[in-house]
Amino acid sequence: MSKAVLRLDHVSRLFGMTVALADMSIALHPGEVHAIVGENGAGKSTMIKIMTGIHQPSGGTIFVDGEPRQISGPQAAREAGIAAIYQEPMVFPDLDVTENIFISDTSAGLWVRPAEQRKRAKALIERIGMTLDPDRIASGLTLAEQQAVEIARSLSQDVRVLIMDEPTASLSAHEASQLRKIATTLAGQGVAVVYISHRLEEIFEISDRVTVIRDGAHISTKPISDVTSDGMIAEMVGREVGNYFAKAAGTVTDKTVLEVRDLTLEGVFEDICFDLHAGEVLCMAGLVGARRTDVALSLFGVTPATSGTIRYQDKEVSFTTPRQAIDAGIAYVSEDRRKLGLAMPMPIKSNISLATLDEFLSPRGLLDRERETSVAHQYRERLNIRTDSVETPVGMLSGGNQQKVMLAKWLNMKPDLLIFDEPTRGIDIGAKAEVHDLIRDFVAQGGAALVISSDLPEVLAMGDRILVMREGRQMGILDTGDATQETVMSMATGQLEQAV
Amino acid sequence: MKNAMNRLRSWEGFLLCALIFIILMNASLSHQFLSFSNVINLFQLSIEKIIVALIMTFIIINAEIDLSVGSMMGLSACAFGVLVQQGVPGGLAILICLSIGVLGGALNGWFIAKVGLPSLVVTLATLIGFRGLARVLVEDRGINDFPDWFDALGQKGIIAGVPFALIAFVVLFVILYVVLQRSGFGRKTYVIGTNRDVADFAGVDTARHKMIIFIASGVISAFAGLLYAARVGAVRGDVALGFELDIITIVLLGGVSIFGGTGTLTGTLLAILIVLSLRNGMALLNVTGHIQTGVIGLLLIASVIAPRIDLSRVFGGGGQQRTQK
Repeated sequence: MSKAVLRLDHVSRLFGMTVALADMSIALHPGEVHAIVGENGAGKSTMIKIMTGIHQPSGGTIFVDGEPRQISGPQAAREAGIAAIYQEPMVFPDLDVTENIFISDTSAGLWVRPAEQRKRAKALIERIGMTLDPDRIASGLTLAEQQAVEIARSLSQDVRVLIMDEPTASLSAHEASQLRKIATTLAGQGVAVVYISHRLEEIFEISDRVTVIRDGAHISTKPISDVTSDGMIAEMVGREVGNYFAKAAGTVTDKTVLEVRDLTLEGVFEDICFDLHAGEVLCMAGLVGARRTDVALSLFGVTPATSGTIRYQDKEVSFTTPRQAIDAGIAYVSEDRRKLGLAMPMPIKSNISLATLDEFLSPRGLLDRERETSVAHQYRERLNIRTDSVETPVGMLSGGNQQKVMLAKWLNMKPDLLIFDEPTRGIDIGAKAEVHDLIRDFVAQGGAALVISSDLPEVLAMGDRILVMREGRQMGILDTGDATQETVMSMATGQLEQAV
Repeated sequence: MKNAMNRLRSWEGFLLCALIFIILMNASLSHQFLSFSNVINLFQLSIEKIIVALIMTFIIINAEIDLSVGSMMGLSACAFGVLVQQGVPGGLAILICLSIGVLGGALNGWFIAKVGLPSLVVTLATLIGFRGLARVLVEDRGINDFPDWFDALGQKGIIAGVPFALIAFVVLFVILYVVLQRSGFGRKTYVIGTNRDVADFAGVDTARHKMIIFIASGVISAFAGLLYAARVGAVRGDVALGFELDIITIVLLGGVSIFGGTGTLTGTLLAILIVLSLRNGMALLNVTGHIQTGVIGLLLIASVIAPRIDLSRVFGGGGQQRTQK
């Protein structure tokens, strides 16, 4: 076996108390396409960030060409010949292809020689097997072409390890095949290509070896010929389901709260069909790019669907603003606390009252701040929000406590339908169990919950039924009794689809 | 654990100390300083600006800016002059001018809140547009044949020697204070300024909210323009030219963050009093206007730096989380 160009040896990375990468070892050889697979949150992004110098490892060693090396920043990664491209290409939209390729090229000194650069740009593009006019302006290029520009840019800097992080996630089938061809072409020229994808069929098509990672640790590395998709999925989800996810009690009733038929938002998701009953938890499973959040946002009136029907509480509805959805009794707890969920510098109590401000007005129309405080105290008790004072800005709380404040905000409107987007992402185990209990209480009292989660054990433990989505399509609805992590994962990766 | 509001109060505390210091200095320099007529005079010289500063506080807390207030003051004053000259009764002319304020504010609000353009650009355009209209109306004339009652309103005391404009300022301050610090509308003003998306997702009609604030800004500016016309007794095309910068300076000096979400009307009031008494005191000391402006500039820089130092500490934890993602 040839010598590894880049090798991680028992590398770990902590963020405060959170372990993002526990024990990662991987060796990348020149000329191979090395696929890396794992669930959301398995540690792939952290690993890439360590390879490209954005994060420093908390432990372990990085070897470049067999020598231990510290990759202290993006510049150091570039010097070591390591580059990464992502789903969203980073090109300068107003510059042309040549200028984009040589954007950080300083070899020419002060004077840029456009004609020579143009020639070199052409050669680089040919080297990756594309045809692209070097004079075209980047904003007019397709996503795949923009990615090709990025790849050519890294080639101009003598890349030896090219990391492609879900490069095809937002590409059409044709563009994706173009990009895969580039990956194999580069490997043929001796570059070590790291290929990260949720599309298992791609991985079987182009990769030489596959590494499975799970919970921040290396699980296996095998030649692709020794791997089956079932085996790979089993390894991706393989952890034991802990006892802390107690099974929800059967609280499902016959009363249909929500009836969704053929819901479509053009270009985003299509033909979503499901019923949701009072007392039921319906989980939405899927991988990044499955468009689950987009479905939730349509139900909540943020981005109204373009066709299909929503019946809510036996009435056909079409919300165009969140206010309408809220007035009807629908709450949406966002996955993005910082951007959409909480006003971080503002006190806990002001965040809790925000969605129901009208209820806090005195007869004179002024804010009843004492009531605000007392309601905040109630939720602090009930949800066990750990804080000295309800005047504390929520930005100073831990993730789990922030999550509880957000939940308090929505529980206070006494919703009939609670849409919960990634309720436990980025919070510790203890808070996780508490959030699960709260959702369970909510449905036990007759509420209906739609829970979007990428945490498979959570989905299997919480959900009465599981709706699996993949790239904007509904792959099927499973009863939790019949579902295993493997079946959910097979559907989410497109290996299995339920007949409708 | 101190929160952002407490830290802000400490800036307000600093302003209060500075104010007391300046007043004591002034009083020791001149026994005239605390006399009734000097205090009235001190307010009267800038009364239009400080009235508009009250609504500008809402705008900036809302994470927007309104550069067109000075031009709206000019437009309203000129429109009044022309209408009166054409024989329109004074009361009706006032109503028309206030309506112009509503329309101008609604125009700003529509582009900013509904279309989603940046307020900096929209109100820069209307700054030019409103001023242009004002100049078209009066050309290069001066108009000064106002009704006597109108001039008297601007120049004489109406209750115990206190002029109408100062009473209007106090009334407006009380109303806006209650709205901003005590009402649901005020709370929404802060939340939208902190994070508009969070407000949207909580069901707040943020577009309507911004629309209301910009209309209020337009109508209060138009009102202030009328006060100016009454006080000076004449209008020209350049009425209130450049006032927007003084007004924004006062608001920022009061501890309102240019990024929105923090600040109080108390802070704005303290800043108003400091700027007025500082200018007055320096005038008593025969300090030239340019140096006065320089001193106020230095204060402004201090006001921008002080909360930033605090904010970096308040959000230290949040900053770490951001790098994790």
